[in-house]
Amino acid sequence: MKKKFIWWGFIALFLLPYSAWAEQSSYVLPYPSSMPGSSLYFAHQTLEKLSKFWYFGDFAQFKYNLKYSDKYLVEAKTLFEYRQYLLASDSLNKSNYYFEKLNGNLLRAKENGKNISEKEKMLKLAAEKHKEVLLLIKNTTPPSFNWRPEKEESRLLNLHKLIDYSFNLRKL
Amino acid sequence: MKVFWFFFGSLFFLTFLSYLFIDPNFFPLKNLYSGIAFQNRGLVSFFYILSVSSLFLSYLQVIRINVKKKLNSAQVVGLISVSSVILFFSYPAMLSYDIFNYLTTAKVFFHYFENPYLVMPIEFIGDPNLLFTHAANKFSLYGPSWVIITGIPYLLAFKNILLSVVSFKILNLIFFWSTLYLLFKISKNIQTVLLFGLNPLVLIETLLGSHNDIVMMFFALMAVYLLTSGKKVISFISLVLSIFVKYATAFLFPVFAYYFFKKGKIKPEKIYFYSSCFMLLIFFLSFLREEIYPWYAIWFLVFVFLTKSKFLQGLSIVLSFFLMLRYVPYMYLGTHFGVTPFIKISLTFIPLAIFVVAFRFIKHRLNFQNSE
Repeated sequence: MKKKFIWWGFIALFLLPYSAWAEQSSYVLPYPSSMPGSSLYFAHQTLEKLSKFWYFGDFAQFKYNLKYSDKYLVEAKTLFEYRQYLLASDSLNKSNYYFEKLNGNLLRAKENGKNISEKEKMLKLAAEKHKEVLLLIKNTTPPSFNWRPEKEESRLLNLHKLIDYSFNLRKL
Repeated sequence: MKVFWFFFGSLFFLTFLSYLFIDPNFFPLKNLYSGIAFQNRGLVSFFYILSVSSLFLSYLQVIRINVKKKLNSAQVVGLISVSSVILFFSYPAMLSYDIFNYLTTAKVFFHYFENPYLVMPIEFIGDPNLLFTHAANKFSLYGPSWVIITGIPYLLAFKNILLSVVSFKILNLIFFWSTLYLLFKISKNIQTVLLFGLNPLVLIETLLGSHNDIVMMFFALMAVYLLTSGKKVISFISLVLSIFVKYATAFLFPVFAYYFFKKGKIKPEKIYFYSSCFMLLIFFLSFLREEIYPWYAIWFLVFVFLTKSKFLQGLSIVLSFFLMLRYVPYMYLGTHFGVTPFIKISLTFIPLAIFVVAFRFIKHRLNFQNSE
């Protein structure tokens, strides 16, 4: 009995980390870019607005929206880690804003006769990765937070509500 | 003249040879696929060397005849016209598949309305062009001027692939003849037109291979010509158009800067000489990006025959011949690896070194004889 227990213990030891790894999405998120407050942040935001015109076409628009959804999710994660909850919530909202557009881009591409199967796969992988990150954020974040800036009125941030909304948005 | 017929015969043979290289995936010409070029590599390589050698020999002979008893302009125009017509009917992807890349990039922009600098052809799953496009996994390698220009042949072909190939060839033919016209306008010398227009490398790479270098160089030549005519603004626009075809002519900026530094007090011939030198420099530096491709020679050939430098002209002709032989190692061995790169490098630089030494030796001998 004892031997069997040790035996199963060994199997579990090898299989559990593997299964946990296997569930992870292979999608790779970008490095964090400049953060709010940095002198480059404004320049990056201007570039983001201008490059929208460069990303014409259904597939290019898809790439643009996915790129910025990823970017703002990574930004939100970093800000949550530093407990900058107000800025983090803004970033997560921006990530959601871009993510919401992705399905529309693919639908338009399909209407225009383009095969979207690979893009759908990519979107699914991206959504999985986003959900992984959102779960990580949720585990390290309080459900709500009363944000009190120095010279403004305080704001109650329903962090878990926002994270749950973001999570559900990515259920494809 | 016999040499004319020899030249045409060689071109005709090369055109015939080109059809042995039909890609089995190029479905519009599937019925003409024989696979001969891929199964009889030795024989095909031999015939290729034979036709290129005979083309260069007859080219030199025609140049010699023109030096001796001057061909009239009608003869020269006739000679280049017949050559153009023969090569127009060649299969374009014998030596490179670039024409298919142009065609597919044009499709990304004008058919799918996607930005070819952000979306690769390979992303359009199921597109028939993917069967024969070799650089489908790359964003557009060319500038926006080129992408826009390709709209004309692409749209005129009404989505028919074979017609697209033909219309791209017509586009190159137009730019080739426009370049010849400009060369004549600048030099007022039929020999210049002959040296460039009948150069087998120029003919093969422009009218058989259908490379867009002739488009870039037309705008570059136009820019330099307008600069020497004092039309600075249009000249600059033409230079920008040229740069945005394939970027290489950005190397002409120093020439333009020198012209402005000298406040225009510089002989046009010197401008063409410096342009040749700078385009030669970027030609030799092109290995830093990928490798020295034979069609890159068009970059300096356009300017070289406008100079009086016998050294540059001789070097260009020698280089033209050996650059055309750079295709042989792959044609024969069927691989880009192993000894192929080494043979290619040797074929380019050894003859070049021999030419430089021989030229200096002959020049030295002549100087010595004159001093005696």
